[in-house]
Amino acid sequence: MMGTKRARWFSPTLTPYLLVLPVLLYYAAFWLQPVVTVVIQSFRDPVTGAFTLNNFALVLQDKDFWPAFWNTFIIVSISVALEFVVALALSLLIYRRFWGSGIFFFLMLIPMALPPVATGAIWKTGLTAHGWLNSLLIHLGVLAEGKKIYWLGTPRTPKWQLLTLIILVDAWTVIPSVMVILVAGLQNLPREVIEAGYVFGGTYWRVLRDIILPMLRPTIQTAVVLRLISAIQIWLIIVLLFGFSRVPVLVERIVYYHEEVRGLDIAPAMTTGYTVIVAFIVSAAALLYLYLSGAFEGEKAS
Amino acid sequence: MAEVQLINLTKRFGRRVLAVDHIHLTVKDREFLVLLGPSGCGKTTTLRMIAGLEEVSEGTILIDGEDVTYLPPRARNVSMVFQNYAVWPHMTVYENIAYPLRLKKVPRDEIDRRVKEVAELTKIAELLDRYPSQLSGGQQQRVALARAIAVKPKVFLMDEPLSNLDAKLRVHMRTELKAIHHQTQATTIFVTHDQSEAMSMADRIVVMREGRIEQVGTPEEVYEKSANMFVASFIGLPPTNFFYTEVRRENDALKLVHPYFTLTLSPEQAARLKDYTKSRLVLGVRPENLLLTTEDQALFSVEAMVVEPQGSHQIIAFQMDDQIVKIVAPAYPKVWPGERIHVTFRPERIRFFDPETQQAVGDEA
Amino acid sequence: MMDPKIQYRLRKAARQMLLYLVVLTITLVIMTPVYFITVLSFLTTREAYEYPLPLYPTFTIRMKMERGKRGYLLSVWDRNEQAYVSVLDTDDADKMRVYMETYLGLKPSNEQVTEVMQKVDATGGQPVYFAWRRHILSNYATFFRVTRDAVPALIRSLQIAALTIAISLSIGGAAGYAFARYRFYGKNALKFSVLFVRMFPGVAIAIPMVIILARIGLYDRPAGLSLLYSVGVIGMTVWITASIFMAIPVSLEEAAMVFGATRLQAFLRITLPLAFPGLAAAAMYAFIGAWNETVAAIILTEFNPTFSVVVYQTLLGATGQVNLTAAGGMAMALPAVVFTFFIRRYIHQMWGGVTV
Ligand SMILES: Nc1ncnc2c1ncn2[C@@H]1O[C@H](COP(=O)(O)OP(=O)(O)OP(=O)(O)O)[C@@H](O)[C@H]1O
Ligand SMILES: [Mg+2]
Repeated sequence: MMGTKRARWFSPTLTPYLLVLPVLLYYAAFWLQPVVTVVIQSFRDPVTGAFTLNNFALVLQDKDFWPAFWNTFIIVSISVALEFVVALALSLLIYRRFWGSGIFFFLMLIPMALPPVATGAIWKTGLTAHGWLNSLLIHLGVLAEGKKIYWLGTPRTPKWQLLTLIILVDAWTVIPSVMVILVAGLQNLPREVIEAGYVFGGTYWRVLRDIILPMLRPTIQTAVVLRLISAIQIWLIIVLLFGFSRVPVLVERIVYYHEEVRGLDIAPAMTTGYTVIVAFIVSAAALLYLYLSGAFEGEKAS
Repeated sequence: MAEVQLINLTKRFGRRVLAVDHIHLTVKDREFLVLLGPSGCGKTTTLRMIAGLEEVSEGTILIDGEDVTYLPPRARNVSMVFQNYAVWPHMTVYENIAYPLRLKKVPRDEIDRRVKEVAELTKIAELLDRYPSQLSGGQQQRVALARAIAVKPKVFLMDEPLSNLDAKLRVHMRTELKAIHHQTQATTIFVTHDQSEAMSMADRIVVMREGRIEQVGTPEEVYEKSANMFVASFIGLPPTNFFYTEVRRENDALKLVHPYFTLTLSPEQAARLKDYTKSRLVLGVRPENLLLTTEDQALFSVEAMVVEPQGSHQIIAFQMDDQIVKIVAPAYPKVWPGERIHVTFRPERIRFFDPETQQAVGDEA
Repeated sequence: MMDPKIQYRLRKAARQMLLYLVVLTITLVIMTPVYFITVLSFLTTREAYEYPLPLYPTFTIRMKMERGKRGYLLSVWDRNEQAYVSVLDTDDADKMRVYMETYLGLKPSNEQVTEVMQKVDATGGQPVYFAWRRHILSNYATFFRVTRDAVPALIRSLQIAALTIAISLSIGGAAGYAFARYRFYGKNALKFSVLFVRMFPGVAIAIPMVIILARIGLYDRPAGLSLLYSVGVIGMTVWITASIFMAIPVSLEEAAMVFGATRLQAFLRITLPLAFPGLAAAAMYAFIGAWNETVAAIILTEFNPTFSVVVYQTLLGATGQVNLTAAGGMAMALPAVVFTFFIRRYIHQMWGGVTV
């Protein structure tokens, strides 16, 4: 019989590996290869190809490196916290299932679905002095006729205002994608287990704190780590709003040196140097978060 | 301890679904009451309304005379054992039992004492440090039970707590639950759709169908004196056999004519049916009340179709036109399929039903 | 003492009110920007540069023509001023037509313009009032007409998305199935790979990819981009498909195998049809990912930009008028939003099965 013969060499224990193999090959070709390439490059002199740490030194000496680092740091730490809290609140709201919650959920998803360029278009047209936001304020009577607020700032605007604006715009864009994960996690919690909390004397807040959130922990870790990883890589919305170099952030520097000042002779060194440094920061932050939040311990227990 | 009263209790889901339909019920203090009925008849919904997990559409719930209809679950002093146990997976067994007590602000040493006590009672004392994921289904079930007992509620609510256990453990847990009830003396409302579970555990059984109560009574009452054809067929395995007959009244005698037999009722039975004026009547006869007899004493004779030996007894099925009738007979003499059997009724155990209303008729007042 | 029932109803009503107030506020916060970009995409160029911007678009342009100093004076009804505002004074019908086309979104012929001018002459200089309808989608049509490359870029973007779906669903789906059905060594590593792959900035992969793709002749080609996009999407597809397959009981497949089907047949005949809606959702998710991506596309295209790059350029550079840029952004957003509408029911399934 064909079937049995085949079964002998096509061992069932091998099947999962065969199914997973394409992914591994794919990652090797189109993820590992570029990663290795860029890491090697970052240790090489762009001209001679000799081993050097000069690229990193150049980056660290870049006058925009530390501003970019701190801007990124501030944006990430505030926005991840803010987005998580708001997304959690919203997902608990949607979990209640009120009349119209389905439509509400869909509307909430729209900012997530929007392409970054569309988001850029929305806020660029909204935040300019003659944009729709000021127009709306005039129509509402909040702003006097003909007056305007310079949301995007003037050269003298303090930096924290610009950062606040970036954080708010980013929150508008990103909260839905955090919320989606949390809603899914909530909906997958067994209902009775939560109800048991109420029956045995819990108020909403106690049940939330002692039962819902602990059970949601793996979901929360997933949502936060994904968010953390992409928050550190913020740049496009900033460039669309402010252009290059006005509010430097780490990834923006990579694109800046790769696209905007290609001709510059330090550009290749800067590009690879920044790339590897950013990758290092993202990985370190994600692993640190997972470690601190106890995701690895859970791995061992189960 | 507590008495639970449901007055006109109703639950609608949207416009269409009437899950619980104006029921009236009083659960006595210390009683073990079983809600029994087919799937979707509203048992869970009733229980959840009593627990406060489901908003009441109409009616009132009283616990110990106090109106709790609009109180949140935590203010009702009830505890519940859920069908899927609903133990908290992120807490150890100890914490699972202790948490409700902590919520009720019981002092620490009192908590410890009570946890140990109920763990002893439910035989999980050596599992206190484990997490639910490290327990078997039966053990989780005991944890759920221990948690419910520890809070010393006024009322216990149990929603098919045994349905996820294997058959042997299920029977074993029945006995234990009864024993625990005996010890705690807590008013208990127990939901099941397993009639043998209901029969073996209940002080009283409430039979429900489509959101309505069909009959309330002791296990004997609902079995022997089923209030209608639904209860008669739902309770008992195999179910009650029904024979549709024509009523003939001759002088004072009452004759019931069936294509296979004509049954003359005793004067007492006839007297009880004297107010019944309709021309058709249904005879309800439980399988053990159909007797095998000799040919000359037989009401009718048929051919046995299927015989299921059960050890202590045998179940004989035969066909009457398109109806299958079952007899529960002693294991001996053995009957073989195809054998001609002679059947009569145990006359005093016959029940009568009105085929139109499906209700029992001719019961003593 | 108040009746507990009334008390309960009141409390509930109050809670409901609060709930809907919150929901309404959030909806406003989310929808206001979306609303305005939509309005903007329908405004005429003249209106788009007005301040304050109008709150809603109109498609009927009310105009007035009379004798002017240099010929004919065209005025347009201004909603802010609530009056006709003079905009152009010329005797050149062609100039007048071009103005209408560029600033008012109208598409009159020279004859139509001349006709109005003649009417002005006939009335002896009295103003002539007239209203013309413009096409609702005129900005969108104009965007695709005036933006270099917009149409071919749109086609390329669709190709890229289709290819990304094919790659990620076949490769990632297989792994997702293995994930749901088998225990194997390295399962956890695979689970984490989604994260690891993302930890390296997309830009950081795109840059060396230039060389790799150039080597295999796919630089600046749709296929090259979809190869890159699939790296990010595959991991997510593994997660999503794994949780979809987990939701389908193995027993169904086993039942089929009991009746003589091979594992492959069981998969094709039983699991795949059941998983289809979920897989379609995963495909749409991949589509959205590929369609929306901009960063790598900027780096990896030169002469063959994707649609998102085209919109990015009109947005960043001075190439576009605001209303046309808005139209481009809306054209970009529409497919993603529509697909999101379809996949919203699957979201809890997509994210359900796997967590870190
Ligand atoms: N949340 C709900 N929304 C709509 N209908 C519901 C809801 N919960 C229950 N129902 C309906 O109400 C009726 C009673 O349901 P209930 O769960 O009380 O039945 P049950 O007697 O417990 O059945 P089972 O033995 O299957 O558990 C059913 O028809 C069910 O479909
Ligand atoms: Mg039920």
